[in-house]
Amino acid sequence: MFDTRLPSMAWRNLWRHRRRTLLTLSSIAFGTTLALLFTGIGDSNWAKMIDLAARLGGGHVTLQHAEYLETPTLSRSVHDVERIRALALEDPDVVRAVPRISGFLMLATAGQSYGAAFMALDPALEDERSLSLLEALDEGRMFEDSRDPGIILGARLAENLDVELGQKVVYTLTDKHGEIVRAAARVRGIVRTGTPTVDGGLCLLALDALRETLGYGPQEAIQIGLFIGDQRRSDAVAARLGARLSGDVVALPWYENQPDLAAFIAMKVAGAQFMEGVIALLVAAGIFNTLFVSVMERVREFGIMLAIGFSPGRLFGLVMFESLWLGLVGLIAAGIFVAWPYWYLSTKGLDISAQLDMSNSEIAGIAVSTVMHVALYPETVALIAAAAMTATLLSGLYPAWKAGHIVPVESIRLV
Amino acid sequence: MTQTNGDPAARLVDVTKRYRQGALDVFALRGLSLTIEKGEFTALCGPSGSGKTTTLNLIGALDRPTSGTVYLEGKDLAPLSRRQLSELRRDRIGFVFQAYNLMPVLTAYENAEIVLALQGVDAATRRERVLGLLADVGLEGLEDRRPDQLSGGQQQRVAIARAIASDPALVLADEPTANVDSETADHLLDIMEDLNRQRGVTFLFSTHDPRVMERARRVVRIVDGRVDSDETDRSEAG
Repeated sequence: MFDTRLPSMAWRNLWRHRRRTLLTLSSIAFGTTLALLFTGIGDSNWAKMIDLAARLGGGHVTLQHAEYLETPTLSRSVHDVERIRALALEDPDVVRAVPRISGFLMLATAGQSYGAAFMALDPALEDERSLSLLEALDEGRMFEDSRDPGIILGARLAENLDVELGQKVVYTLTDKHGEIVRAAARVRGIVRTGTPTVDGGLCLLALDALRETLGYGPQEAIQIGLFIGDQRRSDAVAARLGARLSGDVVALPWYENQPDLAAFIAMKVAGAQFMEGVIALLVAAGIFNTLFVSVMERVREFGIMLAIGFSPGRLFGLVMFESLWLGLVGLIAAGIFVAWPYWYLSTKGLDISAQLDMSNSEIAGIAVSTVMHVALYPETVALIAAAAMTATLLSGLYPAWKAGHIVPVESIRLV
Repeated sequence: MTQTNGDPAARLVDVTKRYRQGALDVFALRGLSLTIEKGEFTALCGPSGSGKTTTLNLIGALDRPTSGTVYLEGKDLAPLSRRQLSELRRDRIGFVFQAYNLMPVLTAYENAEIVLALQGVDAATRRERVLGLLADVGLEGLEDRRPDQLSGGQQQRVAIARAIASDPALVLADEPTANVDSETADHLLDIMEDLNRQRGVTFLFSTHDPRVMERARRVVRIVDGRVDSDETDRSEAG
């Protein structure tokens, strides 16, 4: 019954040294705020990069031939595209499914020739939400339909080939049987993303037009890109669809299709987690110091408490409650500290382009944004709060143990 | 006052207590035997280092003897675990120390009720008993004050109320008048004497204070860890 009073006693004990407690609370709040902002900025950046990568390539989840990842040739195609698309769209997380053919070709004009990556798409199924390049259409226009014989070039590629809108280029590639095929296309549009890899090395073709050139059937493509609302569910979607797909088709989450980007993000996340670990350690050391000093100052008091019938377990509990209060109040303070910066960074963002020249920066072909935003997922907040509470409670363990192991007959002598 | 059985409140039989001080063995008690009957108002006196506080600590289950046996209400304390000793102190022993007895974050009322709360006594019973005790020790109206808002004498009165709140077998008071002025000391002794006479509370003091020795009905003088003299029924005689 008395245990219900321990929290109240612990609370009052905390405020016996108001300044010390406030300093400790500040350190918990500051550390947690830093962790929340660092993680939120990181999560926001990585999510944007992953979404952008999905919109530049094969979506958040890619359905493709099981051997295409190992041997990316046009012979490793997916058949029965419409049926598979319909199957994918039955998944509640999938908001869009687009068939594509991608690979490499050689572009030539009268005076120049350059190698480039290509992507063939159905304009009826695509817009900026599935293909970010379309946002960057700087000149010309999108294909009329899937049979449009035109080509859209990256701005640098067009410059290198020395072609303008309406002029003709010839592209050469190997078809599904390994035969070299060739077709001519007029430049329909020019995209300018600011990303060197894209502007200098990518072109777009219409899906059915390319199918015809390659000898593909009307239901054949290299991959079906799936787009989902929250990229963190890529794994789950890939697993669910993987179980439903039959034959040679597999479902790959974005990180399997974009290992460079995945490795970069994993490295950055590990670095951020290490920094957060260091912050947590420093905060925990501060809490430990506060609680330990507070216990050592109260040795006689604890001795008397033991003498009048407090059990060692209750004293342990009392100090742990003090630790718990520190953690809880520290988290509330962190919530107050983080509110304004979070609101500012999530709504307006912080443009660092003036401080850093990152105009041409890209990672694994993905442009790096120069506007820092923050986005926190509920589970991330819960994880950081749990980590802060755990660090606080762990810091309290030894002082609490010490309190429970005070020898009353020795401590009562201390006046 | 609860009388659980016919056993004495406390009994020490041939008790030795040895401390290690550096390379030396120091004997605080050397074969001390002593019986405290229920209802006594007894003072242990003797020079500093004679073993008074050690005797109180052993009876109070705060320490264990090197040899010999300590009984509390007939129960041998030797086989009891740390937890059992803690429960025994909570239920059967009241403590009044020299000073700084109280928990600074609790009010006078909360300090006085704490042992009852630890015992799991319900709130209504606690309230009735503690308010009555605080009134008995002259602290009516000061229940909500924290220790730093009370004088030294008032703090000791709260400690006395706390010590007797759970009807212990005996109250051990280690120099309870050492840190208060003579008027306050007399008042504290009045309170404890009244509680002893009217409620039958057993008090065992460790003291240098002649006023305590004058009021005690039994004075046990300890010298060099042994009972040197034992005068009983002094106040009745006086």
